[in-house]
Amino acid sequence: MKYILLSASSVIILVLMVASIFYYQNQFPASQWPQSDEMRDNQKSPHIDEQTQPQELQATNPDEQISYTLQNDELNITFNQGKDWTTVPVGIEQLFSGEYNGNKQNLIENSYILTENRAAFLYSEGNNWDNQRILLLHSTDQGETWEEQLVTEPFVAMRFRKVEFLNENFGYIIISGGRTMSQESSHVFLTHNGGMSWEETTNSGVTRLISNGGFVDEAIGFLSFGTINPEEPDLYVTLDGGNTWNKATMHIPTEYNLIFVQAETPVKEQDHLSVLVNQGPNGDYKGGKVKGKFISTDHGETWEFQMEVKPND
Amino acid sequence: MIKHRNNLLNVVGWILFVISVVIFSFQMGYLFISAKYQVEYIDNRLFYIINILCILFLTPVILLLVTKKIKVLSISIVVMFITANVFMLVSSNQIVKNITSISPNWKHVLSIKENVENGEAMYYRNYYSILARAKERLPFETTGEFHVKWLANDIAAVTYKTKENTIQQFIGTYGERGSGGSYYYVAAEIHGHWQGENIDVISDTEGITVIKDGKTELFEWNDIQQFGTLAVVLKKNNEAVWTVSLNENFEIHSDASKATVGNISIYEATLEKNEPIILHYSSSN
Repeated sequence: MKYILLSASSVIILVLMVASIFYYQNQFPASQWPQSDEMRDNQKSPHIDEQTQPQELQATNPDEQISYTLQNDELNITFNQGKDWTTVPVGIEQLFSGEYNGNKQNLIENSYILTENRAAFLYSEGNNWDNQRILLLHSTDQGETWEEQLVTEPFVAMRFRKVEFLNENFGYIIISGGRTMSQESSHVFLTHNGGMSWEETTNSGVTRLISNGGFVDEAIGFLSFGTINPEEPDLYVTLDGGNTWNKATMHIPTEYNLIFVQAETPVKEQDHLSVLVNQGPNGDYKGGKVKGKFISTDHGETWEFQMEVKPND
Repeated sequence: MIKHRNNLLNVVGWILFVISVVIFSFQMGYLFISAKYQVEYIDNRLFYIINILCILFLTPVILLLVTKKIKVLSISIVVMFITANVFMLVSSNQIVKNITSISPNWKHVLSIKENVENGEAMYYRNYYSILARAKERLPFETTGEFHVKWLANDIAAVTYKTKENTIQQFIGTYGERGSGGSYYYVAAEIHGHWQGENIDVISDTEGITVIKDGKTELFEWNDIQQFGTLAVVLKKNNEAVWTVSLNENFEIHSDASKATVGNISIYEATLEKNEPIILHYSSSN
């Protein structure tokens, strides 16, 4: 046992001595720095074909025919449940640039469209936070060709972002930016030619933080404000394609005062419009998930309470 | 009695031997992963220190095992080993200079390694306590003069001189003031008027203005460089002038109805010894 221990100790000393000399001699000489994380990131090839993918692509929603993945530091989209993938020519960081709270495993909700007939991604680029370009990259042939359209510039740090098309030609983009505390500016852009060009509507003038918005047709649109501690829905409506904005009137029953406080985006229902009003981030009425459904028969200018809606209704 | 003493020596000897084997295994493991994953010790000198530590634990074991005659030889080998390692430790630091600084709360380590020959310096980010990976190259070639100051437990300001004789500041950041995961702009979050001892800072749409001893200096957005989400360096003529950082009590919130909470600090870019000045929120302009 004594000799085994002595032998082991000798081996340790010997190996450590050799290792020290090896380590000393391999101190990286001039101009031979290890690759930094930054360099490693920049070395990724801009386009990786399917044969040499470092990581097998897994769709974010594997059950959907049309899905995407952000693996390998790039955005890939599929239209056939992951059998074939197309790389979208946009940097991952650009998709999340601006002011964004959330993980980067999934695309920002409402910042993209991915349907059989249209793929569109809203993002910003630029080194200075107060001088960004807002761009929409879109394809109508399942990623065969891409068009990049400038939505607006310069723009200060995009926070809220939403892009939507109601038909082949008409679409809208709602963005907010330049937030300082709880004040920011919100902007609405419309296209009537399938996204080839975008025009800004008249500004609503509201500087509260926007929580939602959208158009139900080419004339009628909504902006909903209040994100932190809203006390009542703050919904603005346009009936003329964004030329004028007016505050909508919501008749909230007394028992729901301070309960239903944040309007979502109105939708068309038969001969009227309906909107769900949720409880905001701090609601705890019946667990906080129940929403109030309101109805408007005058294109969204006034709203009447209809019923409570459970989250899975 | 003697038997009892022998038993005790046996136990201690075994414990020391096991400790040295563990350290040895760790060191061998390090050599393997450093080659495979480009991971390094946060300070290159740690390699030699760990070697010496391993041998120090092993020495009593050897002395317990060998006869008197061989004891002298053993001690000589140990002394030679330690001397060689100390020599390599000192000498290697003249090839690659390690700038290592531990945060005041002992939770973070700032690590910069400078290639002395050509003045290139690399910022390392520690990932697994004493292990680190190269993160980014410091802008400009350095002259080897570095001055590290922790502005908070998670903000380290590194002031250094470049070969062009300019002063630059690099900020290592190890945390944030938000609710997690979100990026925000320091200059926007400190919007308003801040006051400290003989110094005022105003952040508005034009940029950040510093008023010191009656002298007003505006730093426009192009001259403001943000590091992480905790600090900005204000530059003039491509040279660092000030660093503005968010103190640990600074709260990022998006509700204007709440008053601005917390302090910020301003720290001058100079190699002379100086302290950051704490600023208090005065008004929203």
